[in-house]
Amino acid sequence: MKRAVKKVLSLALILALSLTLCSVAFAKEYRVAYIARAQADSFAAWLANGVKEEAGKYPDITVDVFDGQANDETENSLIENAITNKYDCIIIQPNNGEAQRPYAEKVVAAGIICITTNARIDGIKGASTVDAQPYEQAAVNARMALKVVPQGATAVILRGPAGNFHADERLKAWKAEFFDKRPDVKIVGDDYANWNKDEAMALMEDWVTKVDKPIGLIASMNDNMCAGALEVIKGNPDYKGVLSFGVDGTAEACLLIEEGRMTATCLQNAYELSELLLSTAHKLLTGAETQIDTDVGNPLYTIDNVAELREIHVKAGALK
Amino acid sequence: MQTDIKLEVRNISKSFPGVKALDHISFKVRRGTTHVLCGENGAGKSTLMKIINGIYKPDEGEILLDGQPVKIDNPIHARSLGISMIFQELSFVPEMTVAENIFLGRWPMDRFRRVDKAEMFRQTQALMEREGLHYSPYEQLKNLSVSDIQMLEIIKAVSNNPRIIIMDEPTSAITDKEIEKLFDMIRMLKERGACVIYISHKMDEIFRIADDITVLRDGTMVDSRPASELDVDETIALMVGRRMENKYPWEDVPKGDVLLDVKHFSSAGVFNDINFHIRAGEIVGFAGLMGAGRTEVVRALFGLDPSDGGEVFIKGRKKQRLTVQGNIADGLVMLSEDRRRYGLVPIRSVLENVSLANLKKFIYKGRLHRREERDAVAEQCRRMNVKTSSLETTVEALSGGNQQKVVLAKWMEVDPDVLLMDEPTRGIDVGAKFEIYKLMIALARKGKALLMVSSELPELLGMCDRIYVLCQGRITGELSREQFSAEQIMHYAIGTDKA
Amino acid sequence: MQLGQGRANLWETLKSKYAIFLVLVVLFIICSLLNSNFLTWRNLTNISRQISVTTILAFGETILIISGLLDLSSGAVMAFSGTLSVMCYKAMGDTYVSMIVAILVAIAIAVFCNALNALMVTTFRAPAFIVTLAMQAMARGAALFLTAGQNVYQIGNYTVLGQGSIWIIPIPILFMIFFFLITRYILSDTRLGRSLYAIGGNEAAANASGIAVNKVKTMAYLVNGVMVGMAAVLFMSRVNAGLPNGAIGYETEALTTAIIGGTSFTGGIGTAGGTIVGAFIIGFLNNIMNLTSVNSYIQQIIKGAIIALAVMYDIYAKNQRTRKKMGNIEDKAKK
Repeated sequence: MKRAVKKVLSLALILALSLTLCSVAFAKEYRVAYIARAQADSFAAWLANGVKEEAGKYPDITVDVFDGQANDETENSLIENAITNKYDCIIIQPNNGEAQRPYAEKVVAAGIICITTNARIDGIKGASTVDAQPYEQAAVNARMALKVVPQGATAVILRGPAGNFHADERLKAWKAEFFDKRPDVKIVGDDYANWNKDEAMALMEDWVTKVDKPIGLIASMNDNMCAGALEVIKGNPDYKGVLSFGVDGTAEACLLIEEGRMTATCLQNAYELSELLLSTAHKLLTGAETQIDTDVGNPLYTIDNVAELREIHVKAGALK
Repeated sequence: MQTDIKLEVRNISKSFPGVKALDHISFKVRRGTTHVLCGENGAGKSTLMKIINGIYKPDEGEILLDGQPVKIDNPIHARSLGISMIFQELSFVPEMTVAENIFLGRWPMDRFRRVDKAEMFRQTQALMEREGLHYSPYEQLKNLSVSDIQMLEIIKAVSNNPRIIIMDEPTSAITDKEIEKLFDMIRMLKERGACVIYISHKMDEIFRIADDITVLRDGTMVDSRPASELDVDETIALMVGRRMENKYPWEDVPKGDVLLDVKHFSSAGVFNDINFHIRAGEIVGFAGLMGAGRTEVVRALFGLDPSDGGEVFIKGRKKQRLTVQGNIADGLVMLSEDRRRYGLVPIRSVLENVSLANLKKFIYKGRLHRREERDAVAEQCRRMNVKTSSLETTVEALSGGNQQKVVLAKWMEVDPDVLLMDEPTRGIDVGAKFEIYKLMIALARKGKALLMVSSELPELLGMCDRIYVLCQGRITGELSREQFSAEQIMHYAIGTDKA
Repeated sequence: MQLGQGRANLWETLKSKYAIFLVLVVLFIICSLLNSNFLTWRNLTNISRQISVTTILAFGETILIISGLLDLSSGAVMAFSGTLSVMCYKAMGDTYVSMIVAILVAIAIAVFCNALNALMVTTFRAPAFIVTLAMQAMARGAALFLTAGQNVYQIGNYTVLGQGSIWIIPIPILFMIFFFLITRYILSDTRLGRSLYAIGGNEAAANASGIAVNKVKTMAYLVNGVMVGMAAVLFMSRVNAGLPNGAIGYETEALTTAIIGGTSFTGGIGTAGGTIVGAFIIGFLNNIMNLTSVNSYIQQIIKGAIIALAVMYDIYAKNQRTRKKMGNIEDKAKK
């Protein structure tokens, strides 16, 4: 008897849990499938949230978000499912551009509007693209670093996950635009922190122990890892002059720049990107245009213009 | 005359650590006959058959097939020599189909070395039709009843077209109708000139089919004669033998109140309407053959298995539910026949094992008083005469006798009033056995109630004040010490009502 | 003669019982020789701080593995309870009271998740592996859902626990020591501890000895929950943010730590001391490889090899033990 009650109780609990996590979708005129790279990746999640929010402004568009779970297999099958479900438009944020290319082509072949974004998949006939350029995002940082990093400084590099398109492009930009041109700068640490703050912290702690003179430059492929490295040297007088660069323009980076602890970040503006995505989708759906390739800018924010970055986040409710 | 003997076993001996299982056994099986092997539990029947089937190697002696000495390496070799065996324990894969099981390990292959399923099912179907079995070759084994599976085992063995077929208690799990079918099959096999070696202790069966009978006792061959020269009583007398009874330290302890009273205790399909009681100072025995339900009754009483009827009174108080914890709290404990599985935590120390059942005795305000625990365990081990290099030694390192003493020491820590002892001396050397007997008497003297389940009849006769005999899940007889007779117990145990 | 034998026995026990400790000492010496920065107060506190969170998780896993269970959900539950705790703290403002409430929230959530684990394992007799794997997915999903996948920033003085020090000892290390003492106490000085070993060593026998198996298993999960909750607070506080994506793979790290520390995956064997030694072995290895700039792919290979070696050694030692014991019996029989 007691046992049965226990069983029912736990079943009910599980049911309740799963129900609360489900939301009901209402059908509108145009159905758009947004296939995100990974909902567990904070920028991708930010973008997906932005897309959902932006869709609210279009009374004739409804967006369903799917989670590719940072897995090519999963993402590809989600695209196939979306084709089968006859969505009017499918927006793909690839996990790995080349892996999703044939599936994006399938979307076009099925007569469905296809948009690739962040990062775009180039050269698919009939598909549109909306993107920020990952190379350029890091390049603006590197070009600034070229001017401000003193002669003979030491540097550390915090990499994103191995094989990740954005991570690779950003690293390429740092190499080409900065390290190749500044042989005087010695790299004392270079490792994968996989976009993660805690992994970056552990690496930085070991590096700080290892070096004889303070590290002069933190070249991080995203803001999250940069914040982790800065967390380690917080309040350390030797590190007053450290220069640090990140990408994404997160709220945390905004705060760090305001405090004077971080040098610069390039905004990958998810709001701007989602606005552009939705307007592009709308134009294509209503037949105003048939093919669009467009980019958001890559604005660099430093102590001088950080107020503008703050405004973006305040508007979005991420900061007060 | 020489060619008339198909199989001859000469002077076979086999020892296991601590036990001499077979001691110079010899017998002959004539071509085209049924040869019955009988004896008590542990007489060595199964061991002997496993040697003939190549599962065990004999320490000495030889096996002659058609007058030629052979060395049988393994069951596959035995099969190639035309020897096939039906096991007491069923050897099937429950998730596989009937056909796959019949062909287990010798599946027909097609030319791509794939299992030829069509052929396999076709052959099985044919076999089933020939033997008049009704179920589908595609059925999964787990969906069949035990008797169906037993019949399948028999058919599987017969399907190899063997020259010698060994059946180890084949009727223990099948219905009367199937027994008839089995006997028909045996007759047919005999007509084909094959030999059947049939192990059983069911007297009525034995005399229906036996041509020759060989009786084993304690690993020795007592007699081997044509069935026509024997009758039931004589066979039982041969099985039981005459035994010395003064190697047991039994004494007449004054009896007190009834400490354990069991009424109409039942568990569907396992045992039925069990009634017995034990008084303070009394040692009561449960006799019976393998599978009679003795262990099952004891396990259910202790709360390890479910039961579905009857009343149990411990020290006069009726138990509402039988749970292990409740029983221990009420002073009823059980020594399992399988002490490694249910009695000990082999990888932990003697200390932890002994204090396991009564840890709360050493807990003060949530903290374990390790000094006190150690002293108590050391004292208990000394009293039990546990031989171990230290209390930290893991129990798996001890000998069987010492392991059993550790289990006993554990229960002594609880200071129980009723002890259910299932095969307390199994796998233990003679010296340790005697120590355990002495301990039992000491406990009885202290006014404890003891139940002893044993497959060794002499032990029961030597140690008990009273014996209940079980057969097929029922108590079929009760004997007081004055009435003790091995023959009588055997009759009850076999179920031939000769009271 | 007698004395000599005694000494040999002492060495034997040292070797078999404290082998893993010897490995640590040797590793420590090698690391000190390899890099001059290794043997500095700062580096050693760094290592201790780095391992503190996973080690606290590993204590929970040790308790579970000993009783034949495990928890694959600890990393995800950390993220879930940690982000909730951070959000709670932010909502209540920068005060001591909200700090205490935030800690209690983290612990309560983690204990709740583990209570569900326990319920499934005991009532439904589901394997712990699959139950906690399901919990991993649910907790991670809940954390992401709660935060919409975004990190929670500006958490004020919440960082004190993870980043502050008392005298010269970082607070996470103090918590690690605290949980070490708790685990040790539970395992060696309580009825619960003995019951855990008995259940892991032989569940049927434990049951037949009157141990309330389900109750003990539930307790093991609840204790684990407290540790996961506290680890979550320390983690979030250390990274100065509520990370719904944080602590991915921490459960594997924690399991590895316990196993290297001599906890037997088949249950019934393991100690708190072994686990903390295992944690330092991993900590030293990671640290020295970073200090000497070993390629991070190579680092993974080395770490994998060490885990394989540790497990093989565990099995080898166990076989060795039984073989030796059987030898003893024969010796005795001869006498």
